[in-house]
Amino acid sequence: MKLSLARSRGQIVADYLGGSWRERQPPLAISPSDLELITTLLYDSGAAGLAWWRIRESELKTTAHGELLHQGYRLQALQSAINEERIMTAFRLLRDVGIEPILIKGWSVARLYPHPTLRAYGDVDLLVKPADYLAAREVLNGDEPGAWWVDLHRSLFELQDQSIDELFERSLIVDLQESKVRVLCAEDNLALLAIHLFKHGAWRPSWLCDIGALIESLPAEFDWNLSFGSNKRRAAWISTAVLLAHELLGANIDKVPVEVRNKQVPAWLTDAVLKQWSTLWHRDHLPIQPRPLMANSLRSAKTFLREVRERWPDPIVATFNLEGRVNNFPRLPYQLVAFFSQATRFVFSNFY
Amino acid sequence: MKDKDRQRKPLARKDGLVIQELPDEVLVYDLDNDRAHCLNQTAAFVWQRCDGRNTTAQIARKLGQQFDCPVDEKIVWLALDQLGRNHLLERQPIPPPALMGMNRRAMVRALGLAAALAIPVVTSILAPMPAQAATCTPQGGACVDSSTCCAGLTCQASTCQP
Repeated sequence: MKLSLARSRGQIVADYLGGSWRERQPPLAISPSDLELITTLLYDSGAAGLAWWRIRESELKTTAHGELLHQGYRLQALQSAINEERIMTAFRLLRDVGIEPILIKGWSVARLYPHPTLRAYGDVDLLVKPADYLAAREVLNGDEPGAWWVDLHRSLFELQDQSIDELFERSLIVDLQESKVRVLCAEDNLALLAIHLFKHGAWRPSWLCDIGALIESLPAEFDWNLSFGSNKRRAAWISTAVLLAHELLGANIDKVPVEVRNKQVPAWLTDAVLKQWSTLWHRDHLPIQPRPLMANSLRSAKTFLREVRERWPDPIVATFNLEGRVNNFPRLPYQLVAFFSQATRFVFSNFY
Repeated sequence: MKDKDRQRKPLARKDGLVIQELPDEVLVYDLDNDRAHCLNQTAAFVWQRCDGRNTTAQIARKLGQQFDCPVDEKIVWLALDQLGRNHLLERQPIPPPALMGMNRRAMVRALGLAAALAIPVVTSILAPMPAQAATCTPQGGACVDSSTCCAGLTCQASTCQP
C-alpha cells in the first residue's frame, strides 16, 4: 500500500510537470487536492517556477497552493536576476586576466526554458582549463566577488571521457543580457545533464525537465555519437535519461535516433524515480534532509534497523556508482555491494 | 523655482536594487536591506516613470494613455506613498494638502469604486514555508499524530491514512 501510494504521488508530480518547459503548456489535469498533495514536493525540490508556469492561466493559481507556488516563483525570479549579474561579473573578472571559463549547469540550462526565471539554480558553476585554475580561484576569491560562491571546476566527472580542450573547442558563445558567455555545446550539455541526473539518483524532477527541454530544442546538426561518447556504459545512461524524459514527462523524442527510441527504460528505474519524487526525506536528498549519525543508532536495535532501512542504497545510485548495466536484471546485487561497502567504511571510520 | 520644480518630480531609486521584470509585475530586491518587493502593473508603471523629469500630473496622464482610461492623480500619489515606504524612491514629492496625512486606506476610499485601473500595490515578498499553505496534512503526508491529519484520516506508520 505504502509503495503504491508513494508511486502515485510521484506519478502526480510527473504528470503535472510533463511538458512544463514549453512555452505552450499541455492540458492540465490536476485537482486542487492533488496539487495540495504535491506542492511541498515541488516547492522544496526547486520546481516552484515550473509548477507556477503550469497553472498560471488556470483557476488553480488563486488557490492557497497556487499562491504559494507564485511566491516561490517570484523569489526564484529575483534569484535569477541576481545570479545573472554574478555570472556577468565572474566572466568579466576572469577575462580581464586572460582566463576564459565555460558556464555549466545553472543559467546555461535555464536559458533553454521559455524564460530563464522558470528554472531555479543556486550557484554559479564555471569550468576553466586546469592550467588556469589557481589563477581563476585567486581572482574569484578577491574583493569584488564578495561573499557569493562560484563553484569552480577544472575537470568534470560527468564528462571525464572528453578532454577539457575538446569541451572548449566545441563550446558556444551565447548572449546573456549585454554580455557574451561561453556554454557547452548541446552534445556535451546533454551528456553532462544525463550523467548528473543519475549520479544523484534523479531525485529532482526539474533535472529531468532539463533533459526534456534540451532534447526538444536540439539543433538539426546534433551529433548523437559525440554526445554518447566512447564509453558504452555512460552512453547507456545518456540514452536512458532521454527515454525517461519521454516516458515520465512526455518529452518529444522525434529527433532521437530510432535505435535509441526502440529501447525500453527498465521498470525498476522508473519505479525508483517515482519513489524519489514522492518524498523529500530520502537520505540521498542531502542537504535538505540529512539523517542522524549512524553511530547514534547503535544503542537501540530498533533504531539501528530503522536507520539501516533508511540508508538502504537507492537502486539508481548503487547501479551508477558500481558502473552497472542499465537493464532489467534485479538491482539487489548492486544494492548489497553498495550497502556492505558503506557498512565497511562506517566500521573502519568509527572503530579503527 | 528650480528646486521647487524638482521637488514635484519624483525620482526612482536605482542603486542597490536588483530588478526583474515579469509580464504582469516587477520584482525588486533591495540589496541594502535584503528585502524583496513585488510591484503590480500600476505601481511598476509609476515607478518606471519616476525619472526626475515627469511631474505627478504627467505620470497620471501617461498612465491614462497606457491603459486607455481616465486616471485620477491620487493613484500616482498612492503609488508614490507605497514606493517611498519601501525605500524605492530617491526623491519623493510632498503630497498636496488635500492628501497630506492620508493613510493608504483613506486614499483608496478617496479614489472611489469607480477607479478603472488596478490600485497600485507594492508588497513585500516573504519566503513562505510550504506548510503554511496547508490547513491540514493530506493523505500520504508525513505526520506524528492524527491531530494534524485532514478530516477522515489518522496517522498510521507516520503517514496520514484513511
